[in-house]
Amino acid sequence: MSTTEIVEKYHPNFEGWIQEFQEWQTRIGFDPAWLGDYRFEIRFDWDSAGDEIEFGDFSGMPKWKRRMQIPQQNIIDAILTMVSVQGDTEFASVEQQNHLLATAPTEYDRKSALRIMCEEQRHGWQMAYLLCTYFGEQGMREAAKLLERNAQDGTRLLGSFNAPIDHWLDFFCFTHFIDRDGKFQLKMLSTSSFQPLAASMGPMLKEESFHLGTGANGLRRIVKAGVIPLDFLQKYINKWVSTGLDLFGTDESTSAEWAYVYGVKGRYDERESEMDADREHLNEASRGLYFDELKAEMVRISKGRKEGEPELFIPSDKFNRGIGMYAGKRYTVKGDPFEGSDGEWEEYLAGILPSDADEKLLMNEYMAPGVEWIQYREWRE
Amino acid sequence: MQTLALLAVDKEKLRPFFSRVPELFEQHHHDSGQKPEMYEELLYKVHRPYTNDMLDMIDDWMGLERRNISGEQEIMLRLFLLAIRYPDTLLFDSLDDILVNDVRRLSAYLHFSSHTYTIWDNDTRKGLAKLGFEIPDTDKADPFIYGAYVGTIELIKDLAPFTCFLEHDVPRQRLFQAALAAYGRE
Repeated sequence: MSTTEIVEKYHPNFEGWIQEFQEWQTRIGFDPAWLGDYRFEIRFDWDSAGDEIEFGDFSGMPKWKRRMQIPQQNIIDAILTMVSVQGDTEFASVEQQNHLLATAPTEYDRKSALRIMCEEQRHGWQMAYLLCTYFGEQGMREAAKLLERNAQDGTRLLGSFNAPIDHWLDFFCFTHFIDRDGKFQLKMLSTSSFQPLAASMGPMLKEESFHLGTGANGLRRIVKAGVIPLDFLQKYINKWVSTGLDLFGTDESTSAEWAYVYGVKGRYDERESEMDADREHLNEASRGLYFDELKAEMVRISKGRKEGEPELFIPSDKFNRGIGMYAGKRYTVKGDPFEGSDGEWEEYLAGILPSDADEKLLMNEYMAPGVEWIQYREWRE
Repeated sequence: MQTLALLAVDKEKLRPFFSRVPELFEQHHHDSGQKPEMYEELLYKVHRPYTNDMLDMIDDWMGLERRNISGEQEIMLRLFLLAIRYPDTLLFDSLDDILVNDVRRLSAYLHFSSHTYTIWDNDTRKGLAKLGFEIPDTDKADPFIYGAYVGTIELIKDLAPFTCFLEHDVPRQRLFQAALAAYGRE
């Protein structure tokens, strides 16, 4: 965690944190009445967490159930960072999205988005519980920070979680591409050597499946409605894919390698894979599986397109990257090196990423009130 | 009550079913007889305030004849759908007999208006029996029998590992109800 962050005050226990959480809800404009009967609960699946450390240098030893059992301070620090980053993303997404509830295309979409926001808050709540319960004063300070950073101020830990989600097309892209990254991160933590963290992941993954389904189905319904042209929709896909790929972190990451050595965070397919991990390229391996999944999903989404519309595709993993070996380099969406001048590059980007003019066109024309831009939007007698 | 039920369940007996939930769901829900496109449409098109047209659409999807009830009973039914809150089923007692004499129909209305309620289905009931949960057969919407049916599916949903939860945007109760129906038919 950054040493520049200062927590003015923090409560000495989880109950105190809950009071802060309620104030946070009001502060970001999430009306607690929207929760209805929903209750925030701490959920563990101890069966799926396992009892023995599954990989890394402590493999075969009992999983750590308490902080005092963790053998080294740097392992405690690594776990603290992971729990904090995970919690940070959960609250950030609610800050980014809650304003959309007022403009939901259908009642079911509104309910789905609300459920996603409730569950994201529960995930953040679970991470705060781990911090407060297992990591003493340091954990409680980190839990307090989860509610102090804010997506609207751009102070969340990961870039994608500071980006504005201005409309429902971005919402469906976010739940499809970024929540899918979330699924990967949760699954990689589900085999963790720190048992309370591993046991937290099963219930969170169950809930995450609905979030992904909402995103994929939303995009499919947009394609089927055929109002937003697919070459226009492709620009939003181009924008979100590179963001999702960047979330996996740097290539040849030493922190990912150490996390593997400690048994804290495994591969996405840790339990299924029969091969030894390439410890120096862990982020690349997970990113590759994510990329393959995106391509397969896009084929399904694209199937519903109207005749004459171009097929949607996932841009190259070299395109528009901010992290990793392709960061800052110029590649086309097809993965070819871009050979033109600076001006031509800017022109190219303007044609394949959403511009301000595209945003206006989207809001004022394609998604204007009364337009059936998504399947099943209007009630037909 | 659910904590007690969780402790009493033979989890080993559930494992073979859990390992097949995604496949069983696909088998049942995406069968052409189940009209999955229409099911999806209903999720989006049934909303408050409920109208008779919406209930007609549900009847059509279920393959049921239209309701033969008075205008007053229509209002009673729609008020009931607005008032009921999961997991309550005792509110069934406030309905006229004609409204509770078909548990399939009433449970379908409940499912599309409040997704946590599950559609009553005999194959699903048989699937539950194979897992050790005996729910009596009935045509009527008995609050206790239907309550046990819904509660058991909710319990199974809680016990299921995350690998059961394929990416979907149907309510999780539908995911398990459909998988149980396919399992019950085998």
